[in-house]
Amino acid sequence: MRPADGGPARIMQEEVVDMSNKIHLAASGGLSRRRFLEATAAAGLGAALGLHQVPAQAATKRFEGQSLNLVIIQPHVVTGRKLAADFEAATGAKVNVTAVPYDQLLAKATLDVQSGANEYDVIDYWFANVGALARDAILVDVTQWIERDKAEIQPDDYLPNIYDAYTLYDGKRWGLPYDGDSHVLFFNKEIYDRHGLKGPKTWDEYLANTKAVTQAEAKNGIYGAAVLGGKAPIIIGSTYANRLAGFGGSFLTADGKSALDSEAAVLAAKALKDVVPYALPTPLETRFEEGLPAWLSGKVAAIEFWTDLGVYSQDPKGSKIVDKWDVVRIPVGGKNTTPRLALNAGYGFGVSSGSKKQELAWELTKFATGAKYHRDLLLTTASGIDPDRKSGLYSPEYKAFAPKVQGVLDGALENAVPWPTGPDSPALQVALADQLALILAGQKEPEQAIADAHAAWTQVLGA
Amino acid sequence: MAQDSSRSGALALRAGAIDGFSGGPGRFARLDLLGSLASGRWLWTAPVVAGLLVLSIYPTIFLVALALSNSRLGRPFQSFAGLNNLLKAILDPAFQAALTRSIAFALASTAVELVLGVAVAVLMTRLVKAGRFLMSLILLPLMTPPVMVAVAWKLILAPVGGLANGTLQKLGLIGEPISFFGSAAGAWSSVGLADAWQWTPFVAILAYAALLAYPKEIDEAAMLDGAGPWARFRLLMLPFLAPSLVSIALLKLVIGFKLFDLVFVLTYGGPGFETTTAAFHIWRLALEQFDAGRAAAETLLFALVVGLVTWPLTRWQHRLEVREA
Repeated sequence: MRPADGGPARIMQEEVVDMSNKIHLAASGGLSRRRFLEATAAAGLGAALGLHQVPAQAATKRFEGQSLNLVIIQPHVVTGRKLAADFEAATGAKVNVTAVPYDQLLAKATLDVQSGANEYDVIDYWFANVGALARDAILVDVTQWIERDKAEIQPDDYLPNIYDAYTLYDGKRWGLPYDGDSHVLFFNKEIYDRHGLKGPKTWDEYLANTKAVTQAEAKNGIYGAAVLGGKAPIIIGSTYANRLAGFGGSFLTADGKSALDSEAAVLAAKALKDVVPYALPTPLETRFEEGLPAWLSGKVAAIEFWTDLGVYSQDPKGSKIVDKWDVVRIPVGGKNTTPRLALNAGYGFGVSSGSKKQELAWELTKFATGAKYHRDLLLTTASGIDPDRKSGLYSPEYKAFAPKVQGVLDGALENAVPWPTGPDSPALQVALADQLALILAGQKEPEQAIADAHAAWTQVLGA
Repeated sequence: MAQDSSRSGALALRAGAIDGFSGGPGRFARLDLLGSLASGRWLWTAPVVAGLLVLSIYPTIFLVALALSNSRLGRPFQSFAGLNNLLKAILDPAFQAALTRSIAFALASTAVELVLGVAVAVLMTRLVKAGRFLMSLILLPLMTPPVMVAVAWKLILAPVGGLANGTLQKLGLIGEPISFFGSAAGAWSSVGLADAWQWTPFVAILAYAALLAYPKEIDEAAMLDGAGPWARFRLLMLPFLAPSLVSIALLKLVIGFKLFDLVFVLTYGGPGFETTTAAFHIWRLALEQFDAGRAAAETLLFALVVGLVTWPLTRWQHRLEVREA
């Protein structure tokens, strides 16, 4: 319970949830018979007294004295700390947060269970790996729990394609969405204005703008765009996914085969190659650790980035471009004229199969991904959290907090292109990232690289 | 009881000694072993045996088992794969190229750092007073974790905001920033530079320690005979140092084969696959693609290659030791 949230009405409401949870936990075997009887007695007492008569002081924290280990990606470390404090304040349970690099979480979580160390209870997983984590029995199947706690979770509040992409594999649910990531295109108005440029709507306009700025200002250390091309799949893959979505393509066909043999897939790779000479040197060395400071210090005129960059850009503590930026949807190209986003990155919370406290881990998962808490995180500077719920994306508070970003996301996330999420996703990611890196290094032509990636994907998916 | 066992051990030893004369050395050794077991002396070796079992034998058996199975990181030993993983690894051009790069880097870095290290060591013996200060100074890179070395060099060599590019641009030597990691030559030079910065002191310290035993009288006698510095180094000091240098080279060669941190942080195996070494290739297979079976097979092959490359040096070292003895 959080006194800061105040008000007897809220406290009483949480009392009801508290008692209801006790019964749920006891019924599912998470608590002892004694605690079950306590909970039932408390519920009966509450009913007899008419609930409103239960004094606030009588409330004990549900999980006092217990602890959980949460493994979280480094960019979520701010929310991890906040979550630990808020969950402890609400339930009494202590949460130990372990931050790991974003591209190593899958290996850490897998090794934790496989080795028998079983250190982690809750995993902050990249949604593209949900199939791999499920197949290898690293995540717990939470389908029944979601059904049981439906009223609390409000699954219908999640943006449907995010909910399915992030949690669904083999007809079962393996977690709940936590961070609804997608890229949009940010541009520096001040730099664009100097050259009479406007926010690009097509990839051709983007290239022309980038070229114009770099040719005019590279000698001053200012470049037309930062292109995130670091070889990690989540980085270079996201940059390619933006173009793939923009050109109207997708990663997989409806029946789950490789769709990289499409014209859109090749055009996307060509668009990526074309911008390399004019991008912040050099795309292959640019991960978001390099791209972010370049953008915030006004050294690049454009960057495709996760939507929370809007909040960072307006934070005077770290940004030199406050009120000097704007944002558009990911440009279109080729035959496609409808703007589309790609679900780049994006994380869910799941319960580790190695956890000895799976019910408590599930409580933390629900707490972190709940509608109200999600909205709180959206409104927290540097949280790194982007909308995954309708109640967050379309809330007046978020509209006021990040008006520009909310404007470009409005109605767009619903049709965003997901990455492959099957069990072979890690192998697919690496195969594609390798070929894209060869394009950026100038060692392979886009047509050949994408054909090779398609061949590799066909082999992996057919195996 | 302890007395009994020691007595029986002593008896067995005596019996062994008698039998040893009559039954040959094999029988003597067998009885000696029996005596040792009976007396409980074998317990003294137990920690070493346990250490070997845990640190060497068990991992090797596990690795072989993985290599012969279809194993993923999350679910090892799914099914028996026979020699499939080994064959796939042998026939994989990417792995062959990675092995070649590892061999080339290990040999090149060892040669360069051996020369630089010996030069620094000789310099340290000349600068007697500054020697200790130099020693402390050159220990710094050795004490730095390899990943921090890589991060430091990444910051130095970054195209935008990097110290090297910034300095060169300020001096007007370059207009556009240089992408040190953007080409194969640049990336390897950068990795080599960082590796030399970290490991040359290692060679220098070991060579310096060996040089401390070098008799000054010989050097002075040669000087009186009119030998110049280069001749004294080549004809006296170098042969004196040779056995130590071979051992140092062997160590550095193995360190060179282990190259991973620098590649991971500085180049991530790129541009393209230009700096993908065997260790990095195996890491990607195991921890990016989760193909633990294939990664184990490649590890075994890599170990075999390392053994083959270091074998001549081991033989040479052994020969020098025999000659010295």
